[in-house]
Amino acid sequence: MEPWVVSTGLIFLYLIATIVIGVLANRRGTANMEDFFLYGRQAGFIVLYLTVVATFHSAFAFLGSGGFFYTHGIGFWMAGTWTVLVGAITYTIGTRIWALGKKFGYITPADMLADFYESEGVRVIVALVSVLFTLVYIQVQSAGLGYILSVATGDRISFELASAILLVVAAGYLMVGGLRAVYWTDVIQGIWMYVAVWGGSLLLTYKLFGGPVELWRRLAAERPDMLSLPGPEGFFTPGMWLGMTIALSFGIIFQPHMMIRYFTAASSKTLKLLGATTPIYLMTLFIPAAFVGLGGALILPDLATPDRVFPELLFRFAPPWLTGLILAGATAAAMSTLDSILHSNMTVLTRDVYQRYVAPDRSQRHYLAFGRCVVVVLLVVGWLLTVVNLDYLVVLVMLSGVGALQLMPGVLGVCYPNRERLTTGAGVVAGIGAGLVTLYLTRVYFYQPFGVHEAVWSLGVNFVVTIIVSQVSRQPSKATVERIHGEVERFVYGD
Amino acid sequence: MKIPRSHYLPRTRNGWIATVAFLVAMALAQPPIVHGVMNRIEPWVLGMPFLFAYLLLAYVIGIAVLIWAQRRGV
Repeated sequence: MEPWVVSTGLIFLYLIATIVIGVLANRRGTANMEDFFLYGRQAGFIVLYLTVVATFHSAFAFLGSGGFFYTHGIGFWMAGTWTVLVGAITYTIGTRIWALGKKFGYITPADMLADFYESEGVRVIVALVSVLFTLVYIQVQSAGLGYILSVATGDRISFELASAILLVVAAGYLMVGGLRAVYWTDVIQGIWMYVAVWGGSLLLTYKLFGGPVELWRRLAAERPDMLSLPGPEGFFTPGMWLGMTIALSFGIIFQPHMMIRYFTAASSKTLKLLGATTPIYLMTLFIPAAFVGLGGALILPDLATPDRVFPELLFRFAPPWLTGLILAGATAAAMSTLDSILHSNMTVLTRDVYQRYVAPDRSQRHYLAFGRCVVVVLLVVGWLLTVVNLDYLVVLVMLSGVGALQLMPGVLGVCYPNRERLTTGAGVVAGIGAGLVTLYLTRVYFYQPFGVHEAVWSLGVNFVVTIIVSQVSRQPSKATVERIHGEVERFVYGD
Repeated sequence: MKIPRSHYLPRTRNGWIATVAFLVAMALAQPPIVHGVMNRIEPWVLGMPFLFAYLLLAYVIGIAVLIWAQRRGV
């Protein structure tokens, strides 16, 4: 049997499995918003663990991280820093978000922020930032999926058709089973991608070098520039290191598809255990990525597209069945992020826009039907963004990673009571605006002034503006502050 | 309910230990330490280049602090 038949067959087998899971999830679910959008707030540890790690690691973990090691050397091992920070953020902030969501019935991050700041402006800005800065991620994941399937089939299925097929499958099981289907498929995807990356990487490392130790020895002898900072191209400067740490820990956690996961936990103990242990999975996935990228730099030093290093090595040195299994794992990595982003955008648009401003007081079934329609629209928009190559998208993608980071002062103002000073709705809105403008300027016009990453600049300006404006604007009412901050106090320290 | 003290600072001994230990672990994995004295290939540690092994140790310490905090109910 030809290798492409094996690879493609395994990927389609995987896709069929996800559809079956979506149908089973639909049978277990009930027709209400909490169940469809939030898994009924009853996600246990294992399901939540695997959906969080699978959502956090996208196609980038499979393709991009290997490419980063290939190009910039050992500096990308800094990725471990942000994965450990993600655990700490979940432990400290995630648990507070969960407690407030459970007590006051929040479904989206905008629900929580608008309630505390008593501001519809905050709701609209947060919803807009949530949707706009993750919409382009649909395009990124969809493009990654199209690439994987077209490569696996030897271009017998075009990039456009491949991305369409995979988008339809992800949107399909989401529409049928809601967040329950997303979570159940993420369980498979989370296991599959971990085994695939480690299995493929170790096989290649032992086959090509005789093991990791020999790989390190050869690197030290032949490419010592790959084993020190700032790397062969001088990329990992101190400013870049610090900025990427902030952007890819807080920035990813404050994206709606991650924050909504906090609302779904069955208990605070589940979330604390999640925070303490997710870095184990997230961090260790970058070890095999290092073997692939650094090993690829020795074996295939002239790749035009560094992100292709893993599939290129597999096609040349691994048996077809294993290549198929691993590419299905790459598909899983991209789909688990894609379905979560589709879900979060569906939830935000349905809850924060449609239910709030367009059609309040309708039945639960009405909102579920509308949510499914939103998925169809996102599906079409995502596919069009994928196949119509627009230059400005490149800028948007660069900005998107830091966009959600701008919610940080607002979230801290809700979750961290402070006797001395209160954050206000006007402060949050002004801070987000100033942060986004700074982000654009320090990314596009004055690229990373003094070598400091745009995440640091934008977040710093955001905090300063938020604090200043909060001093001179109307504070949330005493009753609201006591209600919400009182709940945080009770949750963290008891009565 | 009134807030007796800011939530930005821990209120318990275990809270302080966990916070300081975690921040130290993260600081060990940040500039200028990683770009200075730890930016080297030798000495090799268990077959790994020094910088890689050093960062791995810093991450393991960070995770260990989180697990300790979870077990202590911080």
